[in-house]
Amino acid sequence: MTIALTSSPMQHGQLETNRLMLLVIAACLPGVGIGTWFFGYGIIINITLAVLAAMVLEAMLLTLRKRDLKFYLSDNSALVTAVLFGIAMPPGSPWWLVLAGIAFAIVIGKHAYGGLGQNAFNPAMCGYLFLLLSFPLQMTSWHIPSDAIVDAANFSPLGWQGLRQSMLLSFPFLAADAATVQATIDGLAMATPLIESKMAAQNALLTARDTDLPLFARSSDTGWEMVNIGYLLGGLLLLYKRIISWHIPVSIIGTVTLLSLLMYAPGSTSIVGTTYLHLFGSATMIGAFFIATDPVSAATSNLGRIVYGIIIGVSIYTIRVWGSYVDSIAIAVLFGNFCAPLLDHYLRPRVYGHQRAPLLGEKRRTG
Amino acid sequence: MNQLQHSRKIARKLRAHRIFGGIKPLALKARSLRSRIMPTPIPEMLILPLLQHQGSPAAPIVNVGDQVLKYQLLAAAEGPLSVPVHAPTSGEIAAITDAPVPGHGKQSQRCILLRADGVDNAIGLLLLPDHRALSHWQLLERVNAAGICGLGGAGFPTAEKLRSSIERGIELLIINGAECEPYISADEALIRERAAAVVSGAEILQSICLADRCVIAIEQDKHDALKQLRHSLESSSVELLELPTKYPIGGEKQIIQAVTGLEVPHDALPMDIGVLVQNAGTAYAVHDAITEGKPCISRITTLTGTPLQTPKNFEALIGTPVSFMFELCGIEESRHTGSIMGGSLMGLELVRTDVPLIKTSNCLIAKSRAEFPEAKPEQACIRCGFCATACPARLLPQQLYAYSRNQNLEQLEQLNLADCIECGACDYVCPSHIPLVQYYRASKQAISSRDQQRQLSAHWQRRFQFHQYRLKKEADGLQEEERAHRIAPEAAHQARGFSRDKARQEIAAAVERVATRRRNTIASSRESD
Repeated sequence: MTIALTSSPMQHGQLETNRLMLLVIAACLPGVGIGTWFFGYGIIINITLAVLAAMVLEAMLLTLRKRDLKFYLSDNSALVTAVLFGIAMPPGSPWWLVLAGIAFAIVIGKHAYGGLGQNAFNPAMCGYLFLLLSFPLQMTSWHIPSDAIVDAANFSPLGWQGLRQSMLLSFPFLAADAATVQATIDGLAMATPLIESKMAAQNALLTARDTDLPLFARSSDTGWEMVNIGYLLGGLLLLYKRIISWHIPVSIIGTVTLLSLLMYAPGSTSIVGTTYLHLFGSATMIGAFFIATDPVSAATSNLGRIVYGIIIGVSIYTIRVWGSYVDSIAIAVLFGNFCAPLLDHYLRPRVYGHQRAPLLGEKRRTG
Repeated sequence: MNQLQHSRKIARKLRAHRIFGGIKPLALKARSLRSRIMPTPIPEMLILPLLQHQGSPAAPIVNVGDQVLKYQLLAAAEGPLSVPVHAPTSGEIAAITDAPVPGHGKQSQRCILLRADGVDNAIGLLLLPDHRALSHWQLLERVNAAGICGLGGAGFPTAEKLRSSIERGIELLIINGAECEPYISADEALIRERAAAVVSGAEILQSICLADRCVIAIEQDKHDALKQLRHSLESSSVELLELPTKYPIGGEKQIIQAVTGLEVPHDALPMDIGVLVQNAGTAYAVHDAITEGKPCISRITTLTGTPLQTPKNFEALIGTPVSFMFELCGIEESRHTGSIMGGSLMGLELVRTDVPLIKTSNCLIAKSRAEFPEAKPEQACIRCGFCATACPARLLPQQLYAYSRNQNLEQLEQLNLADCIECGACDYVCPSHIPLVQYYRASKQAISSRDQQRQLSAHWQRRFQFHQYRLKKEADGLQEEERAHRIAPEAAHQARGFSRDKARQEIAAAVERVATRRRNTIASSRESD
């Protein structure tokens, strides 16, 4: 037979994996934009560095694995990993730190497992956690142009001065002398996007509340909330476009809300924090909408996704409040990843015409 | 399943229920609905396969060279699940031979070739006074004789389905007017133009299967058809139910769920829960057969696709070659890259266009490269879960895919691959262009061939064990005999002429011998003393 036969179905939908990945990146833009507006170019430098390094590394590994370079590079999955990793990194991190993290993410987190679709863990969070464990000091300080947190009115971190300071922080070798770098760094330590209420963000927000700072004032005190709202908007876009299902973000945010409502004691000096602080004074939104929803490493059935979200939500809260790590999202998501295969196995939907979902090792009824 | 329990559930007011999953593909029905249903001219040669349905082929009762008239019986039902074939027009039987037919498996099949004479002389049809006067068994006999099988695409012999439904007892008859495949508009056109006949067919079907209620289910976006149906249903006990527009709501299991909210158990048939589903086209054919005595010699078929200048619905004679149909629509051969029989989501790619249109052919699509581009290369599965959301059987396609790749048949069975209806919804939504349905078909094949292999090996194992047993028994018998030969060949020989007297003599002789020996021994011992 000379005619190449296709088999049904012969009609297909429009959505493609590479477009889907681009949409995820597009949904990050509000958050990234707002972050840049408040805190300067550090985030963009991080993302650019991570993307460049990720593409080069991806190309190298695909060559090593004898895969079609153009075809696999164009699935844009490395791009998404790099963008999410870049967002998670503290702005002002030195270039080598970003490169080390993204290298771990792409080489170990992704390709060592067999590439896209095979990785058991979220690659970006693998890279992040690797850095957190190896370079705790660098990872817990957030360097932003000094004047951004000093004076809200007179200084724009987006001006030339801000760009110069950001570049100096990321590429210390550009400075004429070590003293300049030292001067830039001094007094700039802040919490990273993933470092939360027990650190600076809480104080910053509380201060903002006390001093009645206008919400849109360009100050790191209120910047936090706006960044989170940016990621919330992006997440809603993903939901609207049906790139992600509501199950994971809703169960994570719901769990965090519920726990923080139950645990919060007004007037107490403990660090448990208000619900508002947990949702908007930390990285909950980006974690719930962008990081935990990475489909490859998440649970796949709807019920599984809800339980997966609850596991992550509980982990986020407990690590934040009682854990010794300053960061919670990365660890919580990776913990969820650990549970995902088990959830997939046990929380299968009931198939049409069956009484209930089959369980492990259950003998199939014949006839 | 408890019949009573289901009855109570169905007896409640029927309303549109949600089905699991489903997709909303781009519907392209409008282009073939612009014109009314057109009759086809008679082609020169009609190819009538003896098997156009599920079951066993009909047996020809005419010979090559016979002159036949329109509606004349050409092949009679033979064996279980068989459906007769009638002449769509008058002419001469040119051959009874193997000819290419559309189909999944064998591409060629026994067919009656009828050379049309163009006169279209018909035999006198047996007109019935009033079908209401007939018993349901008589009506069933008429349906059986008219050669009707499920015209929705499955092609199950209608009479057989009705017969077993009568035996089981049916609560609800669903007339399936939900035509969810994005290209097919045959049923919609039929209902739009001949709603009264469809309703009459539904009533006849209801009176045959003795269902308590009958519902015509149709998607709510088929406005013209709905309007006509409402009009025709004014004086009828048949009910109308509007369903949401969703693929594959027209599947048998799905429409039952959409109408009743019940699921057909995986190891049972719709009639086990008191439901019977018949296609709207089938109802129309039943109407024709009962009220006009016409056997099934034509059907409404959609012709569509961008290479066709005038896509439309035809009332086409069964056996018309596909290429003839395409030419009627003014096909641009330069743009024509392939043909599909059936819909774009569950249809069958045709290798050649000289195959005939058969009773189950509800649609013919002429493909163009613009509308049906070549399949894109498969990318990695990112487990996005779109497929699981789309699956009307609520399977986990992404896991089935992973296990299909690994050929893990046990896991596939546990994930109920057998419940996959191959609707292609998962495939449609897959952003990575993975041909999921192909993987599942291959896996189903692998499971069934493994089962066959197992059965075969179990069979041969039994045979081998029996063989061994027989050999051993033979060997034992032989040994017994040999031993007997070795010890006392003559005795064994004489044993054949055994008699009671001889035995007594021998025993007496033996006793005598022993006694003598003993006496001698005693005597000699005394002497030695």
